[in-house]
Amino acid sequence: MAESAPGMLEKFQTMFDNLVKVTTTKAPIGQTPKQAIWRLNKATLYRYTPVRPDEERHRTPLLLIFALMNKSSILDLRPGSSFVEYMLNKGYDLYLLDWGAPGPEDAHQDLGDYVLEYIPRAIRKMKQVSGSETFNLLGWCIGAMLSTLYGSLRGQQEGLRSLILLTAPLDFTDTDQISLARMTDERYFDVERLLSAFGGNMPAGMIDYGAKMLKPVENFVGGYTRLFDNLDNTKVVDSWHAMNTWVNDPIPLAGGAYRQFIVDFYRGNKLMNGTLSIRGEKVDLRELKASVLNVIAMDDHITPPCQSARLMDKVGSADKLELKVAGGHIGVMAGSGASKGTWPKVESWIAARSD
Amino acid sequence: MSDAEKRFDPVKLLRDVRDGSMDAWAKLTLKLTSSHEYQRLQGVIMKPTFLAIALWRKATESTMSGVLGNLNMPSREEVLMISQRLTNIEMALDDLGAGLDQLRRGTNASTRQQRSGTGRSGDNGGEARPPLSAKGEA
Repeated sequence: MAESAPGMLEKFQTMFDNLVKVTTTKAPIGQTPKQAIWRLNKATLYRYTPVRPDEERHRTPLLLIFALMNKSSILDLRPGSSFVEYMLNKGYDLYLLDWGAPGPEDAHQDLGDYVLEYIPRAIRKMKQVSGSETFNLLGWCIGAMLSTLYGSLRGQQEGLRSLILLTAPLDFTDTDQISLARMTDERYFDVERLLSAFGGNMPAGMIDYGAKMLKPVENFVGGYTRLFDNLDNTKVVDSWHAMNTWVNDPIPLAGGAYRQFIVDFYRGNKLMNGTLSIRGEKVDLRELKASVLNVIAMDDHITPPCQSARLMDKVGSADKLELKVAGGHIGVMAGSGASKGTWPKVESWIAARSD
Repeated sequence: MSDAEKRFDPVKLLRDVRDGSMDAWAKLTLKLTSSHEYQRLQGVIMKPTFLAIALWRKATESTMSGVLGNLNMPSREEVLMISQRLTNIEMALDDLGAGLDQLRRGTNASTRQQRSGTGRSGDNGGEARPPLSAKGEA
């Protein structure tokens, strides 16, 4: 039966309101209460306000580290779709290392700075606040790469108990499968010229463009057709709006770190080859002795499964598990199915290593 | 079949056509942008673009540096250097703070041990005096 005239009018009103909302505002994201407990340059360590009483909380704190080129608010997208909220409800003492946005003065910052200066200091503060000598570390995307490097270089001395890696880009052997590797091929892409053109850092807009060009039609058109199809459904629009707000808010990448990603990882595959050095210290994955959970997203086009799988043969951990889950690079943790798929699996693994 | 199923829905038809063509377009575009030829073309466009941007940047920076120098103001390089030095100072202070905290804990632990050894009454467990509240009360 056709809709009545008032019903149609109401529907158009909702569509119009939703359209105005998504085109003129930013969705509120990253709203779970937290307190900044440490700062260094642009980086901030947050402690999320626990929601469970002390006696119901896990003893080992959990530190979250996200990528350098996007905001960490994806871990706490919106109430009901927030990994942070989920973990707090499960009784974790949760910390987040937010990298902030590097300015021109940070162009020299490289992986050594992040892995050997920022992460150890943030962990020192977290240990002081939590009163625990051991901790768990969860890294996502480049955050997983940094966590792996940290775990190999400092993990054992500093009390790393378990390491959770989500879509970690570590292995660059199979370049035919890695679109970003083709994009940054040295025959076509001059990293030094790019950095000198933009004052030393990789601009946020170019990172965003590069990521979107991996699936151009889906990213530049598909998202908007999905919005158009659901414009009368406020719940879907709110979810789309939150994700769109996050996606379109990238941050620049410090030039030193970007140069290393391209030269040492994408082109040299030095971590897997065992030839990577950070500030003169050789990174040996066999030194990574903490328990490892390696989460691989099967439909990931940014970090295809081949980039994470081989890690398990290389690490020195006795307790390790590879978890293959359906979903893309971001959807695996922030998609509509994550709260029933990835999160419970990750949480149950961490829970067994948190008391 | 029910009436509802039989009914012709032009919107759904249009949507299906759109989705189908978008799917084909996505596959074609992906094939194109993943090719080495596309990357080569992009490289050919990017090289002179980056060079032009770098030259422009260098020219404006050297002009600005002269202007700022004449105005007795610090140049961009000097401001960046100050910022980097501040970060280094921040790191040193962070280490100092952590060292002091460790020292304080060590002192508290030894005080606690001494007190429990002598069995003094009114032992507060060796905890450090809490910081002053906003009202200045201990």
